[in-house]
Amino acid sequence: MNYLPILKIEDLCTYFYSRSKQAFIRSVDHVGLQIAKGQTLGLVGESGSGKSVTALSIMGLVRGEPGVISGSIELNTPEGGINLLQGLGLHVRIHRDNGRIMQVAKDADAWEKTADRNLRGIRGKQIAMIFQDPKNAMNPFVAVGRQIAEAVRLNTAVAGHREARARALHWLAQVRIDSPQLRYHNNPHGLSGGMCQRAMIAMALAAEPVVLIADEPTTGLDATIQSHIVDLMGDLKDELALTTLLISHDIDVIRSLADTVAVMYGGTIMQQGPVQAVLGDTGTQHPYTAALLDSIPDQRLIRSKGYLQAIRGDVLDTMNIPAGCRFYPRCNKVDDTIRAQCRDQEPALINIAGGHRVRCWRFAQARPYSGRAAVHAMQRN
Amino acid sequence: MTATILEVQNLAKHYRQPGNLWSSLSARSRIIPAVDDVSFYIKANETMGLVGETGCGKTTIGRTVLKLTRPSAGRIIFDGQDVTDLSPRQFRPYRRQMQMIFQDLDAALNPKMRIKAILKEAMQVHHPMKNGRLDARLEELVAKVNLKKSKLTNYPPELSGGEKRRVGIARALAVGARFLVADEPTSALDVSIQAQVVNLLKQLQATLGLSYLFISHDLRLVELISHKVAVMYLGRIVEMGLAGRIARKPHHPYTHILWSSLVEKKSRETAGIPNPPEASTPGVFDFQRPVHGCRFAPRCPVYHDKGQPAICTDPDATPPLRDVDASHKVACHFPL
Ligand SMILES: Nc1ncnc2c1ncn2[C@@H]1O[C@H](COP(=O)(O)OP(=O)(O)O)[C@@H](O)[C@H]1O
Ligand SMILES: Nc1ncnc2c1ncn2[C@@H]1O[C@H](COP(=O)(O)OP(=O)(O)O)[C@@H](O)[C@H]1O
Ligand code: SF4
Ligand code: SF4
Ligand SMILES: [Mg+2]
Ligand SMILES: [Mg+2]
Repeated sequence: MNYLPILKIEDLCTYFYSRSKQAFIRSVDHVGLQIAKGQTLGLVGESGSGKSVTALSIMGLVRGEPGVISGSIELNTPEGGINLLQGLGLHVRIHRDNGRIMQVAKDADAWEKTADRNLRGIRGKQIAMIFQDPKNAMNPFVAVGRQIAEAVRLNTAVAGHREARARALHWLAQVRIDSPQLRYHNNPHGLSGGMCQRAMIAMALAAEPVVLIADEPTTGLDATIQSHIVDLMGDLKDELALTTLLISHDIDVIRSLADTVAVMYGGTIMQQGPVQAVLGDTGTQHPYTAALLDSIPDQRLIRSKGYLQAIRGDVLDTMNIPAGCRFYPRCNKVDDTIRAQCRDQEPALINIAGGHRVRCWRFAQARPYSGRAAVHAMQRN
Repeated sequence: MTATILEVQNLAKHYRQPGNLWSSLSARSRIIPAVDDVSFYIKANETMGLVGETGCGKTTIGRTVLKLTRPSAGRIIFDGQDVTDLSPRQFRPYRRQMQMIFQDLDAALNPKMRIKAILKEAMQVHHPMKNGRLDARLEELVAKVNLKKSKLTNYPPELSGGEKRRVGIARALAVGARFLVADEPTSALDVSIQAQVVNLLKQLQATLGLSYLFISHDLRLVELISHKVAVMYLGRIVEMGLAGRIARKPHHPYTHILWSSLVEKKSRETAGIPNPPEASTPGVFDFQRPVHGCRFAPRCPVYHDKGQPAICTDPDATPPLRDVDASHKVACHFPL
């Protein structure tokens, strides 16, 4: 396929430093992702795997030191391309040991200024974000309609109040809020969880963004409301041809909305590719993806009232990334032929079929191993 | 025949709506009918699942059953004894047998106490014992819930979500619980960790003969873990029966909608009945438009399909929970 991705992330690293433990929390560790126009990329993985920090890195909203330390985030709009991390390298010095980042010196103030300049006219405008908790993301004291109208005036060519109001009503209707005229005047707390989530989606859409980032848009809602929001997002995708980064720990949500999927674990991408290849019954799953899928109760198991297939242990503590595969301590697919590699060497993310990439020694046995530096080189191609 | 461990008869809980002075003085002081006329029983060594959307009264039932809050009406019978009107002192011997696994463990576990101290305290409440024996029991307990021994010296905030649930379960077992109310015990957990917790509950039931009231809005887990399921809508049980029947052959329109809303199902097959309109504030009793008769009518597709039959909204014809057969009840004038 020959297309220009709208959003292309390469080698993104976002770290935090824990003073008490004197160690880096490697929340996002050499992540690469890309989304083609009009497509939805689903980002899945257990909580703590770095999904939200990835989103915040794109939005330039990471709070904490040192924050984003390397990588590029390319946004290609009709007006041209821009790297949101342009100039980052000037403000950061990284010391590596054996390919692993061990020390970072970052001029946070200087970087902040550069990042703000890079993101001017982009954040909230070209890239809009919806959050898990709409009530926290919206101003509780201002009617939702007015907040949406404000977003219209701030982010689009529309300047007049009356016209902005009309646009706001349009967006309220677009997200299928019943009687938009009435709801326009409701404060966020006067709306139910599902309605409030719709209002926030409307507010994000009001900016007419090029890319929409939705971080856990259905998490915490009741099952019926969840399915309504999933339906809505599916409709919007068809009607507006939105390019979307959809983050969820709920594989069913990702399965119903995404075109391509990236599975994240312990700060890095374990598998990515077309939704069918990654989440379908193909037998080419990464052991982590397979384990996630297995832990969802299926109809056969429910009927037999059996035990679920849990993944043993807990989500990786990114302060202590093992030398080998990040999933090694929990993996049940290690056999003797690859055990030593799994334990000692991090596998690269390798292409196993058009655009389908897997980071696992089971898929990489035939390839010669040439160290961690090679891993990063491969991510970059 | 297995013994009944808990029976609830015509339970009701009405809250006075918190409001200003004026509304509390005014004659029309608003009452929230959080739970109305709820009856069910749970057999020893069995699980009853309780489902329904946020605000429908699940937590209220759990708390009332454990006498953490007083019912407005109805009886609670535990192990053959009517405990409804027992004084706290009289209730003491029952209290340790009936425990809650809380939804919000961050609030329920003292962040300044080590896990070891939390569990030891729980074990001592009803049975003071010597240190040597206490340590042995603690070890047993920790093994039962598959908690790593090294975690005993940690503080609750240092534990992962899954570990916190284990501690919550261990604490309930420590006091000697036979019946547990598990209120959303897996919410906010990843599927992988959720599976660990559900397996643990199932395994403890098999080995210790525990009984559960399992409250959750994860329908698949409810079906998996429960023998019997009760479906609630705005404070009332609208359908109750064996888990598999509720999930696959529901008779109440609301139950049907609930299960066909499972995202997984939806993306694979098309649901028979279209989604009803989303209530503007689901699960909350609407005082502006109080519903007469069936509380589900405003959102019921059958009601709309049938041309809004008067009986559905007749204040004197609130559909009672009727037997469909020996083990299945439904509260609807036009069951599916
Ligand atoms: N500001 C911060 N300071 C320190 N650690 C953080 C910060 N934000 C996130 N983290 C850590 O980064 C990891 C990834 O978090 P997150 O991206 O929120 O995960 P998720 O995949 O659940 O969205 C977690 O271990 C989290 O504790
Ligand atoms: N202490 C309280 N005072 C007043 N109203 C309450 C109180 N607790 C719960 N409610 C109301 O009772 C209803 C049922 O709540 P709850 O039992 O928590 O539902 P669920 O657990 O199913 O989400 C809701 O409308 C809630 O607002
Ligand atoms: S590399 Fe080894 S440990 Fe890692 S996922 Fe593959 S088989 Fe499991
Ligand atoms: S009684 Fe009428 S309104 Fe209520 S669920 Fe049955 S058909 Fe619907
Ligand atoms: Mg997150
Ligand atoms: Mg509750």
